Amino acid sequence: MRRIISMLLQNEAGVLGRVAGMFSARGYNIDSLTVAPTHDASVSRLTLVTAGDDAVISQIIKQSRKLIDVIEIADITSRAHLECELLMVKVELAQDALSAFVACLRRHPRAQVLDISAGVRTIEFTGTGAEVNTFLADLGDIASILELARSGTAALEPGEAVLAPAVETGPR
Amino acid sequence: MNAQLEIDDITTHPLAGTTLSGADIVVQVLADEGVDVVFGYSGGAILPVYDAVFRYNHDNVRADGSEPLPLIVPANEQGAGFMAAGYARASGKVGVALVTSGPGATNTVTPVRDSMADSIPIVVICGQVPTAAIGTDAFQEAPVSSIMASCAKHVFLVTDASKLEATLRTAFEIARTGRPGPVVVDIPKDIQNVPLVFAGEGRLPIPGYRARLRAIDEAALDDDACARFFAELDRASRPLIYAGGGVIAGTAAEALRDFAHAFGIPVTTTLMGIGAYDTTEPLSLHMLGMHGTAFANYAIDDCDFLLAVGSRFDDRVAGVPAKFAPHSKFLAHLDIDPAEIDKVKRVDWHHLGDLSRALSRLRAFGLARGVDGARLAPWHAEIAYLKSRHAMNYDRDATLIQPCAVIEEINRLTKGEAIISTGVGQHQMWAAQYFDFREPRLWLTSGSMGTMGFGLPAAIGAQFARRDRIVIDIDGDASIRMNLGELETVTTYDLPVKIVVLNNYGDGMVRQWQKLFFKGRFSASDKSLHKKDFVKAAQADGFPWAVRLDKREDLARVIAEFIAFKGPAFLEVVIDPDAGVYPMVGPGMSYAEMITGDHIHSRLPDAAPREASPAEMF
Repeated sequence: MRRIISMLLQNEAGVLGRVAGMFSARGYNIDSLTVAPTHDASVSRLTLVTAGDDAVISQIIKQSRKLIDVIEIADITSRAHLECELLMVKVELAQDALSAFVACLRRHPRAQVLDISAGVRTIEFTGTGAEVNTFLADLGDIASILELARSGTAALEPGEAVLAPAVETGPR
Repeated sequence: MNAQLEIDDITTHPLAGTTLSGADIVVQVLADEGVDVVFGYSGGAILPVYDAVFRYNHDNVRADGSEPLPLIVPANEQGAGFMAAGYARASGKVGVALVTSGPGATNTVTPVRDSMADSIPIVVICGQVPTAAIGTDAFQEAPVSSIMASCAKHVFLVTDASKLEATLRTAFEIARTGRPGPVVVDIPKDIQNVPLVFAGEGRLPIPGYRARLRAIDEAALDDDACARFFAELDRASRPLIYAGGGVIAGTAAEALRDFAHAFGIPVTTTLMGIGAYDTTEPLSLHMLGMHGTAFANYAIDDCDFLLAVGSRFDDRVAGVPAKFAPHSKFLAHLDIDPAEIDKVKRVDWHHLGDLSRALSRLRAFGLARGVDGARLAPWHAEIAYLKSRHAMNYDRDATLIQPCAVIEEINRLTKGEAIISTGVGQHQMWAAQYFDFREPRLWLTSGSMGTMGFGLPAAIGAQFARRDRIVIDIDGDASIRMNLGELETVTTYDLPVKIVVLNNYGDGMVRQWQKLFFKGRFSASDKSLHKKDFVKAAQADGFPWAVRLDKREDLARVIAEFIAFKGPAFLEVVIDPDAGVYPMVGPGMSYAEMITGDHIHSRLPDAAPREASPAEMF
């Protein structure tokens, strides 16, 4: 079962390596992973998509929580959540496919053309992983895909809920 | 305001505000953390710290001429790591190894992983090539922070000199708190040389870790949880405690004993838990598991209530989790590590928190409700029967010296009070089975990693931790070869360490498996053509007492001389090469199917070993 796991990490050198290393050492798969600093520059947020049953996910979370630089961690898929992924895709467009391409963009209003060159279009699309897949399938029927880059899934909870960092109370 | 200033004066470090080099700061933090011995090997990238230790010892020499921070130099950095681990295991304090970059650091990977696997607090400080040279494939450069990240509790690469002091202090905090473990601090050489203002206080922010520690620290068993526990215990007629290394790490042995006594619950321990409960007590079942006592394993099979304390259902205990404790109706688990709950076996009741406090709380709750062990008399009788009917035993009539007889004879003299370290293999299991241990921190063994070569350096480290105790390394001929260079370390520092090599001319445990599961094809496990004369080797390294024992009639006399000798002593015992370790719960077997060998009574009428498939073997 697909799971989205969110972590707040101390923004230290090597922290991403430690998380990724723990996953590979314990035989857990990473389907996608995205990480960047948050509004607090000392904290990064990592969103990771993996698959596993409840026992595996529970171990993943517990083992991740043992890493010293993990501030907070949660299985976002166990709660109400919003998810988003950025796609950049470059397609080769035949002359006679132009109207079909425009129709495709209308069907997917969140798609945006970033670059127009002779016979080539570079497009940005944002949506859930499933929406990205649907858009790509649709686009692939019309134009030939030259390359693409996906950001990996990012996710937040709706409403007031936040993944809050633990408050540092200093060593005792 | 004045009062505030006075308090500050009292708490301020005497060196606060002074300028020290990075290297001097390393040494000062070691001293402040209570370190009284450092194990390590010098080299280019750690030279400034070695120089700082030299100057510190020169400037702070004690009245009796001794050094406050003696540097103990091994033959190989792996030795330094295991000495630090032996020191930590024997004392409960953080052991420290100090090594150079590249090969110095990578030689400590094995003791770091070993310490992680057994939850042993050590701090390994590594020199690193200068900051500007990192990543250039410089001389003696290795990616220590990446390598160690995979096997340590935590690793720091010091990239900002101003954080060096706080980093070192945090390293000790992480090593000793929570579930203890090894922490590596990688310090580039330029940072060791830079002048810094010493603060005398301060640690790095690690908010997530400290919050989790606090939660565990503050966790208390509420009345409901206690009531549920005792409701189930009341229902049980055959309750059992299965205690692990966490009891020792958590200094909970006293609370465990009081708890077991209060309610009359027998105790079996894991290999790592040996010493958590006095093995000479009537309620002690000694070790369980793959090579546990038959009576402990049968008691696990019989019990209807099992309380795991600081243990983790490891594969050497619960090889087939579904068949482990098959009749237990209630499985309870006390631990400090949330990841161990439900990892291997789902439990019916658990509590995460300090083991000593949890056991004391349960005891107080039970006593207040008038619970006692009197009603368990039939179970106690059954335990006594199991212990006598399925007692440990071996071939007592053999002409060749039996390894268990050697252990028994030493134990008769040391009476469960000696510190025993081991290598890994048959000798390790015989020592675990036949020695008594009256208290924690006397049994030092590489439990989870199973590192051959652990015994000798661990004994050296332990002797530095406990000058007052007799320290004996029970080793095998193959295991001791792995770190044989440390024989010289024993005599260099004139340590009264006792070394026993049970020589069966081969990798005995490997041979035992090959005999049982590979039709006797002894691939690469026979050492009968090896030419080493161990006694001459010990003499060459300066052992004033080095003896080979190969006649059964000499056993008692030679062992008495060996134990009585005041200085370093080396005893090689030529043992029966066919002696096996029994009982044995083979791979894929349940405890009921345990092979007990020719000298221990089995419950099975015919305990012929079944052939295991290679797939289930490790």
